[in-house]
Amino acid sequence: MDGTYRPGPAGRGLAWATALYLVLPILIVVPVALTDQRFLSLPKDGLSLQHFRTVLASPEWLGSIWQSFTIAVAATVLSVVAGTLCAIGCWRISRRATELIRVLMLLPLIIPSIVYAIGLYRYFGALDLLDRFMGVVIAHGVTGIPYVVITVSTALAAFDPRLEQAARGMGASLTQTLRWVILPRIAPGIFSGAIFAFIHSWDELVMVLFIASRDVFTLPRRIWDGINENLDPAMAAVAVLLILFTLLLLLADRALRRRTEGG
Amino acid sequence: MSDARGHALGLKGLTKRYGEFTAVEDVSLEVGQGEFLTLLGPSGSGKTTILMAVAGFVAPSAGAILLDGRDITPLPPEKRNFGMVFQGYALFPHMTVAENIAFPLRVRGLSRADRDAKVRAALDLVQLATFAERLPRQLSGGQQQRVALARALVFDPALLLLDEPLSALDKKLRAELQEELKALHRRVGRTFVNVTHDQEEALSLSDRIAILNHGRLVQQGAPGLLYERPRTRFVADFLGKSNFLEGTVVEAAAGGFALDSGVSVRLPDGAAPPPAGSRSLLSLRPEKVALLAEGEAADNVAEGRILSWSYLGAGFALRVATERLGEIRASLPSWQAAIAPAEGLPVRLGWSAEAAVPVEEDAA
Amino acid sequence: MTAAGRPGAGWWWLILPAFLLLVVFYVAPILQVLAISVTEPEPGLGNYERLFTSGAVQRVIVTTLRICLITTVLALLLGYAIAYAITLASPRARGWWILAVLVPLWISVLVRAFAWVTLLRRQGLVNNTLMEAGIISEPLPLVWNEFGIVVGMVHYMVPFAVLPMLASMREIDPRLLAAARGLGGSRGQVFRRVFLPLSMPGVIAAAVLVFIFTLGFYITPAILGGGKTLMVAEWIGLQILDLIRWGLGTMMATMLVVAILVTLAVFSRIVDLRRIFGAGA
Repeated sequence: MDGTYRPGPAGRGLAWATALYLVLPILIVVPVALTDQRFLSLPKDGLSLQHFRTVLASPEWLGSIWQSFTIAVAATVLSVVAGTLCAIGCWRISRRATELIRVLMLLPLIIPSIVYAIGLYRYFGALDLLDRFMGVVIAHGVTGIPYVVITVSTALAAFDPRLEQAARGMGASLTQTLRWVILPRIAPGIFSGAIFAFIHSWDELVMVLFIASRDVFTLPRRIWDGINENLDPAMAAVAVLLILFTLLLLLADRALRRRTEGG
Repeated sequence: MSDARGHALGLKGLTKRYGEFTAVEDVSLEVGQGEFLTLLGPSGSGKTTILMAVAGFVAPSAGAILLDGRDITPLPPEKRNFGMVFQGYALFPHMTVAENIAFPLRVRGLSRADRDAKVRAALDLVQLATFAERLPRQLSGGQQQRVALARALVFDPALLLLDEPLSALDKKLRAELQEELKALHRRVGRTFVNVTHDQEEALSLSDRIAILNHGRLVQQGAPGLLYERPRTRFVADFLGKSNFLEGTVVEAAAGGFALDSGVSVRLPDGAAPPPAGSRSLLSLRPEKVALLAEGEAADNVAEGRILSWSYLGAGFALRVATERLGEIRASLPSWQAAIAPAEGLPVRLGWSAEAAVPVEEDAA
Repeated sequence: MTAAGRPGAGWWWLILPAFLLLVVFYVAPILQVLAISVTEPEPGLGNYERLFTSGAVQRVIVTTLRICLITTVLALLLGYAIAYAITLASPRARGWWILAVLVPLWISVLVRAFAWVTLLRRQGLVNNTLMEAGIISEPLPLVWNEFGIVVGMVHYMVPFAVLPMLASMREIDPRLLAAARGLGGSRGQVFRRVFLPLSMPGVIAAAVLVFIFTLGFYITPAILGGGKTLMVAEWIGLQILDLIRWGLGTMMATMLVVAILVTLAVFSRIVDLRRIFGAGA
C-alpha cells in the first residue's frame, strides 16, 4: 500500500517490539562469541577471536561440518530431482489424482518429525540403514521434497501453458520440451527449492537423534550435545558461523530472484 | 519450400464433449489445398476447440481428422507437423527471436548451418532480419506476431493454424497486419486455418468462412456469399448488421414472394419461394436501405420518423420507427445524406426487392 | 498414448520417483508407527487405555495443550502487529520488515534455542544485567520451565504466523481503508470494522499453522524446558530412547498425528491449506 493509511501508535509500538524480539536474541550471540572470557558472557576487556579459532581447529567440529555439508548436498540433489519432476508432472496432468499427490507431498511438513523419526528408527533398523550416511541422506532428501514441490509449483503457476503446447505443436518431444522450454523458465524456482531443501537438511536434528549415533554425527547433533553438556563460548562461535552461512544462502536466493524478476 | 500447394484437411463428424457439455457437435468440413479458411463464431461457439483438435491438443470424442484423406486423429501434436500461431503468440521469453524461430528446427535435429539458413529465410519472409538477436519482450505486438508466424512456417508445416492471431493488437495495426497476413498466404501458398470472433477480419482474409454457433457448423462459403445470402438469422446478425422483418407469405411465385406487411422479395434464379400462408423471416442489411427523396419510387417503401441517429464519419446510422414494419436501421454514406438528420424528422425509406433475403429462424 | 492432446503417460513417469520415495521411505515408516501402537507390547488397544488411566500421560497432554494455546495466542498477536505494519509500510520499509521476519525463520532452531539459553539462564545476560542494575537480588527463574518454553516457542512461531496473515492482508484493497477514513471513520473504527474482518481468513490460517506446528515440536521445548516440563514430542522420545516403551511412545505419536489431521480437516473447509504452506516458501 502506498502509505496513505498508517497504523496507530499502539500498533506501531507492538510491531517494533516484536521485530526487536525476533532479531535481538539472535544477534546477542555475536558479542558472546567474541568474548575474551572463558565462559558464556559479554566481552569484558576487549574482543577476541579465540573461540572461533578453537572451533576451526577442532577436528570434531570440522568433521561434523563436513559431514553435514555432504549429507545436505546429497539430500538436496535427491529432493530437487524428485520434487521438480513431480511438480512438473502434477502441473501438466492436473487432475484430481495429482491434487492428492500434491497433498501427499506436503505430509512431511505437516506431520511432526518426532513421529517420522521414531518410525525411521525401527524401519531403518530392519534395512540396516541406521547410523549410515545413506540413511540420513534418504531421510533428509525425502522430507526436503515438499520445499521443492512448493517453489517449483509456484514457478510453474506463472508459466504460460501455451509455451508447452507451442513446443509440442512444433514437434518437440517430452524430453526436448522439458530441457529447452520448461526447465529454463522455472530454474529460479528450482534454485529456491534447492536452497530451502539444503537448509532443511543442514539444520535437521530430530531425525538424526534417532537414526544416527557415532559414525554419522552431524553439526546440529554436535551443537545439541554442546548445549546439553558444556555451554561455552565456542558454541556461540559455531552459532555465529551458522547464522552467517544461512544469511549467505538467503542472499543468494534473493539476488537470483531479483535478477530474474528485474531482468 | 517442398510442396507449395499445401495439403487438404478434412473434418468428419468431429464431436467434443466435456462431461455433459458438448463443445463441438458433428462438424464436417473440407479445407482445400492452399485455401485460407476461417472458423468464425462468438466465444463458446467451439471454434477454438476445433482448432485445438486439428492441432492435436484436444482429443475428439467422436469423428475423424483427415490430412489428404489420411486419418491423423490418433497422432500426438508433435507428430502432426502443423505450424501454429497461438493466441498471445506463446513466444519463448527466454529465447531470442532467432532462437525462437530455430526451435522447431532444433527439435528436428537439423544441423546448425541448415538451421541458420532457414531462420534467415524465415526472418526475411516477415521482414524482421534486423531483430534476430532481440528477446520477444523487446518487440512490439506486431513484431511479436510476425515472429510467431515465422516460427510456425519455418519448418515447412503441412498446415498453418492461427488462433485469434490479431486479437492482441490495436485496431489500426490489426488492419495493417491483415494485409500482411493475406500477402503472406499468397506468397507461401499453404493451407491456412484461422480462428477468430472478428467478422471483419474473417471477411477480409478468408477464401472461405465457416460460421459456428453453439458447437455446430451453421453455414460455410465464400465471404461474399455468406454476407449476401445468409442462411439463418444468426449468420445474418453475426456477419455484419441486419434488420429482421417478419410476416406471413401472401403471394408466392417462381421469382419471388410478398408478405402481408407489403414487403416484396425477389429471389435469385432457382430458389424456391416459401409456400403461401407460411411465416417468413427476412434479413435486410442497413446499407441496402436508402433514404428516398420526395416522389422517388422503390420496390419497397416504408414511411416513418427518425428515432435516433449517430454520425460515424464515413456515414450516418439511423434508427427509424416505421408505421408498418416497426423499427428499421439504415446506414447512409455521408455524401449521400440529402437531409440533416434530426430526431422525429419524417422520412421515407426504400429498398429493392433483391435486398431482403429470407433466412431461417435459429434452431433453439 | 494414442489419444492426442491428453497429457501423455510420459508425464506420469515424472511423478513416479517422488511418489515411490515418499511411499517407501515416508508413509511406510509412519504406518509402522501406527501399527506398533496396537501390537506392542501385546495386540489390542491396551496402550490407548492409558489415555484414561495414566495420570502421567494425561499430565503431558494437558501441559502440551496449555503451552500450545498460549503460544498460538501470543504468536498471533505479535505476528498480526508485524503483518499489519508490513502491509501498511512504504515499499522501502517493507523490505526491512520482511527481512526481520524471514531471517529468524531460516536461522537454525538450535541456534535460536542456544541464544535464549544464553540470555535467560541463571547466570545469563538478562539476570546478570538486572542484578548489576540492582533491580533484583536473586536470579529470576526464566528458563528450564514453562516460561522459557513459551518465550522460545513464540519466537520460533511468529514468522509462521506472519506469512499467512500477510498474504491475506495484501489482498485487502488499500482504497477501502482510504474510503473508510474519507467517510468519517476514526483509525480505530477503520481497523475494527474494515481491516480486521477482511484479514480474518489469514488469522485463522495462521492459527491452524502455528497450533499444529507447536503440538509436535521437539527441540525448543527440550532445550528450554530442561527436562522438567515435558511436552508430547519430548515425552515420546523419552519412551522410545530411554525407557524402550515402544507401545506407549507410538500410541502418543499416533494421537499426535490424529490431532493434527483432525485440526486440519476441520479447518480445511475454511482455509486453503496449500496456500498456507505455499506462503512459507
